Amino acid sequence: MATRTKRYALAIDAKKCIDCKACVVACRAENGVPVGKSRNWINEELHGDWPKLMAVFEPEQCHHCEDPACVRVCPTGASYQRPDGVVAINSSECVGCRYCMIACPYDARFFREDLGVVEKCDLCAHRLDRGELPACVETCPSKVRVFGDLNDPTSEIHQLLEKRQYRVKKHEAGTGPQIYYLL
Amino acid sequence: MNRRGFLRVATGGAVGVTLLQAEACHSPLRQQKVANDVTPRVEIPTTCDMCVNKCSMIAVVEKGIVKKLNPNPENPKSKGMLCARGNAGIQQLYDPARIKHPMIRNGERGEGKWKVVSWDEALDFAAQKLSAIKEKYGPQGTLWSSSESFQEVFFRNLGQAFGSPNSVRHPTLCLASVNLAYSVTFGTVPSFDVQNARYIIMSGANRLESFITPDTMDLVDATTERKARLIYLDPRFTKTAAKADEWYPIKPGTDLAFILAMLNLIIGENRYNKEFVSTYCTGFEQLAEHVKQYTADWAAEETQIPAKDIQRIAREFADAAPRAIYYAGRRSSWSRDDFSMRRGQAILNAIVGSWDRQGGMVPNAKVELGELMFLPWDDPVAPRVDELDKNFPLAAKGDGVYLKLRENVLAGQPYPVKGWMIYKQDPMSAIPEQEKTLQMLRQMDFVGVIDIQMSDTAWYADVILPESTYLERLDPVEMLGGIRPVVLYRQPVVKPLHDTKPAFEIVQGLAKRLNLFQYFDYTMEQWIAEQVKTLPMDLPLEYLKKHGVYSPAEYPKYGTTLKPDHRFVTKSGKIELFSERLQGAGYDPLPVYHPPSEVPTGKFRLVLGRVAFHTHANTTNYPWLSSFAPENTLWIHPKAADSLGIGAADRVEVASGVGSVRLKAQVTPKIRPDCVFMQHGYGKRSPWLRLANPGGSDAQLLETAWDKVSGGAALHETFVKVRKV
Repeated sequence: MATRTKRYALAIDAKKCIDCKACVVACRAENGVPVGKSRNWINEELHGDWPKLMAVFEPEQCHHCEDPACVRVCPTGASYQRPDGVVAINSSECVGCRYCMIACPYDARFFREDLGVVEKCDLCAHRLDRGELPACVETCPSKVRVFGDLNDPTSEIHQLLEKRQYRVKKHEAGTGPQIYYLL
Repeated sequence: MNRRGFLRVATGGAVGVTLLQAEACHSPLRQQKVANDVTPRVEIPTTCDMCVNKCSMIAVVEKGIVKKLNPNPENPKSKGMLCARGNAGIQQLYDPARIKHPMIRNGERGEGKWKVVSWDEALDFAAQKLSAIKEKYGPQGTLWSSSESFQEVFFRNLGQAFGSPNSVRHPTLCLASVNLAYSVTFGTVPSFDVQNARYIIMSGANRLESFITPDTMDLVDATTERKARLIYLDPRFTKTAAKADEWYPIKPGTDLAFILAMLNLIIGENRYNKEFVSTYCTGFEQLAEHVKQYTADWAAEETQIPAKDIQRIAREFADAAPRAIYYAGRRSSWSRDDFSMRRGQAILNAIVGSWDRQGGMVPNAKVELGELMFLPWDDPVAPRVDELDKNFPLAAKGDGVYLKLRENVLAGQPYPVKGWMIYKQDPMSAIPEQEKTLQMLRQMDFVGVIDIQMSDTAWYADVILPESTYLERLDPVEMLGGIRPVVLYRQPVVKPLHDTKPAFEIVQGLAKRLNLFQYFDYTMEQWIAEQVKTLPMDLPLEYLKKHGVYSPAEYPKYGTTLKPDHRFVTKSGKIELFSERLQGAGYDPLPVYHPPSEVPTGKFRLVLGRVAFHTHANTTNYPWLSSFAPENTLWIHPKAADSLGIGAADRVEVASGVGSVRLKAQVTPKIRPDCVFMQHGYGKRSPWLRLANPGGSDAQLLETAWDKVSGGAALHETFVKVRKV
């Protein structure tokens, strides 16, 4: 991989998630995501039997992989990776073939019938370019997500990942996912 | 806020004009001008109104359109967050089903035929009707209902100036029992320092789904960072239960047994704070004697929580004090003995000394705001229609007791009430036994509604006076007391989209026609100018326009009341464990346990609660929110569902003694087998609220029952039959 000056990533402390949906609605508002589709979501698992129950809430969105399968399969170059690591879609180049949706190990993309293009989380690239945080990160009541530049040793995310254990989802897919779930 | 005084601002509009012209400092990030159609992008700090928390936020407005609402981190209460509802505020503004013009009914009540009219016509009509009722029945023949809004003060003042003693607010559908229990004990209702607590017990206060700032965020932090231990009692496995250290699916209505057994052990084992009790409390000896009967073994039978757990929790709680709190919650009453249960909590918190200490209960700090003096009116002559003096002598006079009030209005006792003005309230959805609310609406000669959407109540109105939403109007400045008090500013971020007005202007319009304008002869700008005069800065209004919120840096402060000569606002001047005030009013001076009625065979106890993405019954028509639950479901335990032959997603009929609804079953182990649960705000009648129509309305099922002391509607006293349809 080419050396990046920046490597944006997310660390998610899922145990802090209370499944309140603030991130989902904030994303909908920020990015004009139509009802019925979603760029981010919260996985819910319930274990055990009454009254010994346990629930896990785990927010998820595009993993902004280091070696994104979606970019590899895109025939037009619409899916691309920015120098800061953000995987984005240039919708004017998207022909709606949906190969990327099949290639994505995380099912993070959806097709917009109304526009004929594929969409997904781009970490609110337009907000990043203004120096703001992604909408989901900013709005969260319990501050589940930490966003930042892994290449910056002074960043909160860099320091967090140095001292905390974490896992990534579907490591075996080999795409180098950049959402780090703190353990 | 209903302070009387002599009109001081006699110089007319001069102050207001100056303030209107005073533009705030223009920082590149935040501009305070109302965006016009060509402004490319402005960010305007203001205050959310999607629920009661009043979080600070920043509206991003592009070319006159609100694009995004972002959290404003300057507010120490909302702490830089905006929840799902706050983010969906845009959908309230741009809701196609908003009431866009004043309308007068043009058919039978509830038939849905409306005539769009001018403001003059609508206000003339309302004023004529109100005057006719005053003529025939006296001013007490009108009822003025309203809920929390920064502009509620004007509506309430109009009702009083009109001469009606009958204002009724939301607390008896909400936290009246909590407020009264803490007031009786401490003379005030404190906040809970969740952020610094080390041991927290919650009875059903589902704080992670029913947001209260900053408690919700502090609780997540406290539990997930292992700062505090959370013990959670609830018949449902809520999101709060999921994060709790221990969850007990307590038998509903028995929480007081749990609390009394804790008191028994803590006193019996000398684990209470003797110095605190002897310095600040009164009635300890009577309390100690009283709780001797309530052992852990006894409580285990009542609550279905093992005695050894009750004992351990009691010891851990006392050990963690003063950073130990039995969290009061902010919630409706559950049982007819709800007040006693809240009193028990207050007493428990008191005897371990968790008062005015870090991590305990803290009396609310305030920021003084100025008040505009306006012409006083005569006090209403007639007594209240809910006869509080007789029925609920300790209840808050200005709030009223909703269920008793409805009963008396329906009976025409002690006098007829024939006019109903309603502001920002939906009694059809909010009050148990909807059929009776409908009867109450039907027996009125006149119903006027001020709202932003066609609620089920508005649907039955005679005239609808549409209010501008919180993103379109300038509101009075609001102070929220708390551990960290805040002063909030709400300014318009766009011009009104439709032919709507702020409640203040609607009130002025009515006042003019009712010959009461002399009491409302001021502008919003004058009102605000008086309010901000007391703030400790050179240009307070400019500060608020720029920041949206002000919070003094010196908080939190602990221990301001911990002086042996401090007088609590109680009869004895002490914290009253034993209450002579209660005794004098004919109630138990100490909390006495009465077991709840047993669930009849073949029935279930209906329990209610919240989800984080809805506010009461207000937000179910906004697609961004209802997409998470397009209809409500009936939670039913797998064992119970099996016995009734109910499978996942089957439709069921739920029937109580007063009504029945149909909705989808959700077979889930997250609820006790003897209870069922349904979400509030669905099954609406109003065809304008298309997305809120599916599912069933709990208001149709709930039976009329109230807490004996506060009069708060007891919402867990209804038993229902469930069958597959």
